[in-house]
Amino acid sequence: MLTVGIPRALSYYRYFPFFKTMLEGLGTKVVLSKPTGKRLVEDGVRYCVDDICVPVKLYYGHVLELKDIVDRLFLTRLVSVEKCDSDTYTCPKLIGLPDMIRSSIEGLPPIIEFVVDIQNRSIHSSARRLGEMLDTPPALTRKALSRAIDVQARYEGKLLGGLTPEDAMSAAFSGNGSSGGVRAGSGDGPAPGLNVALVGHEYLLHDHFISHNLPSRLSRLGSCVTYMTEVPPDVIEAELARYPEISWSYEKELLGSASYFLHREDIDGVMLVMCFACGPDSIVGEIIEREVRTESSPPLMTLVLDEHAGQAGVATRVEAFVDLIRRSRRKS
Amino acid sequence: MKVSFPHMGNAYIALSALLSNLGAEVIIPPRPTQKTIEMGALHAPEFVCLPFKVNLGDNFQALSMGADTLAMVSGTWACRFGYYGRVQHQILRDAGFEFDSILLGRDGVGTVYNKFADTVDGNLALGWLRAFRSFRSKARAVDALEASAREVRPFERERGSTSDALSRSLSVVHESPSVKATGSALDRGMELMDAVEVERRGEPLHIAVLGEIYAVLEPSLNFDIERRLGEMGVVAHPVMSIYKWLFRPLKTDPSILVEERRARRVARPYIPYVLGGEEHQTITGTIDAARKRYDGVIHVFPFTCMPESVCRAILPRIEKEYDIPVLNLCLDEHASPTGIETRLEAFTDLLRQRRRKKPR
Repeated sequence: MLTVGIPRALSYYRYFPFFKTMLEGLGTKVVLSKPTGKRLVEDGVRYCVDDICVPVKLYYGHVLELKDIVDRLFLTRLVSVEKCDSDTYTCPKLIGLPDMIRSSIEGLPPIIEFVVDIQNRSIHSSARRLGEMLDTPPALTRKALSRAIDVQARYEGKLLGGLTPEDAMSAAFSGNGSSGGVRAGSGDGPAPGLNVALVGHEYLLHDHFISHNLPSRLSRLGSCVTYMTEVPPDVIEAELARYPEISWSYEKELLGSASYFLHREDIDGVMLVMCFACGPDSIVGEIIEREVRTESSPPLMTLVLDEHAGQAGVATRVEAFVDLIRRSRRKS
Repeated sequence: MKVSFPHMGNAYIALSALLSNLGAEVIIPPRPTQKTIEMGALHAPEFVCLPFKVNLGDNFQALSMGADTLAMVSGTWACRFGYYGRVQHQILRDAGFEFDSILLGRDGVGTVYNKFADTVDGNLALGWLRAFRSFRSKARAVDALEASAREVRPFERERGSTSDALSRSLSVVHESPSVKATGSALDRGMELMDAVEVERRGEPLHIAVLGEIYAVLEPSLNFDIERRLGEMGVVAHPVMSIYKWLFRPLKTDPSILVEERRARRVARPYIPYVLGGEEHQTITGTIDAARKRYDGVIHVFPFTCMPESVCRAILPRIEKEYDIPVLNLCLDEHASPTGIETRLEAFTDLLRQRRRKKPR
């Protein structure tokens, strides 16, 4: 059976259930790269441009990991991911990612490039092209696509229910229940501990190596973690209407959910997690700090991560933040 | 109304002609210096690209010189440049300045058009027409003078004489009050350029300078790379120019549009999708440099620039396929003139050696 390698980085955290179901429906075997580790980061850094953000370096690392063990390499090109009236984009680096990989790594297996450009091309057409690349009959492609869309919807439902991508994926693949997930340590009513909202790209928050286990670190300090993936899309849409338009789809989610959290009473603190040298975040982080935050907002902390960030440094900053919000809560 | 805008190379000459013809008083901040950049970097987000910081510093200077209106282009693009005006003006307001914003792009053409209804002398439409004609003639004059300086500089007998002549002719153009006067100012400037004493010393090196447009065109950011190269006896060929930058979005000059289309087409095998910056000019410029048998290419871009980082990863492949040496210069507020100088010297030495081994 043809093996297809998918790097465990960037688009993995968002669309892996879709990609996996689709590729398996087309009769291939999906191979996922190992979770990020020290060696992988070093390899990625060696092959990648020096002054680029760490998620791209990780992507390089994961590609190198898969390079010699798969028959085909599955790369994604995310150009636009939502259909709306005005132009929307992802980050330019996500648009040019396959071009960068092709130009800087030699000896790659044949590449399957999956283009997501919802503004100009339907997902059906992207899927059809994928089917053609793998030489499968159109009927099979259609069937695989509808199954993939189902699984992806189930996955997104689980994320809305508060699961991490990892848990949501296993729940989506096992196919139990249709919506909502149960999360340990949090219920609906007022939480006993602190409630910290995490705002940041999934590929940073949920990559345990680069985020130094940030979510579990927070829960060990006795705070309940609310992810930005729990904010429903219509709420984000409503929040976004309060600010001038921006055109980066993923940063819209950041802005919308940060605005939602910063105007809520039951959130004790908001952590904005970014990676160094991230282009869109440098602007959106500033917009959040200057346009969204008000006098009465819960404390907001910006945590900037890169491949050099030491575990102790991150731990100290997180502990200090939790101490601070605990103290400010005691006062009020 | 006292209007100001950030610097970009010699664009201020054309832009101040535009605004003063609309009846506004134009405040031109001093050319960006290390101090400007530091002031901008102090208030800007940590890892935003360098042009943001320089522009912010320019705005600080302009406001302290008494400007009450800041103009900037703005939009919703994949590149951060579309958000500059919005975020910078917010930063300045948070720092305690009060001023009016003109955000071209976000405010819509109508709002900007009517903004000058009170200041313009006579009919508004005629005022805009007059302003545009003056704007265009000065932009063209600046372009012509810069091009002639580029040709003369590598051969000047006395180091620095070309740059002196250039700055004198630019100020003549800048001070010319009408379209007609700009025409004669250009002639006068060309005479000054022709008067520079030259001596031929063999075939000079030819190097294309390309990359992020602000980094290519703003001397304070790239440590005046064009002049530096010229005074090393190298002919620099910048791929972009102020004139093209100003007129590309206006879509009035068909030759620019044709060139843009061609650049996208040539770059397609390497970057099939639009990234929102000058990536097509960078890729195509490098390929063209090889085809024109230039000796090398210098790729300049600000640290964290998104489209150019992608190009930075692709250029080594073009370097190999087309056999043309490329020097990547990544600039930020910590770059030093000595560092750049050393790298330029090493690069030109390398190119000279290469030429000895492999004559063109």
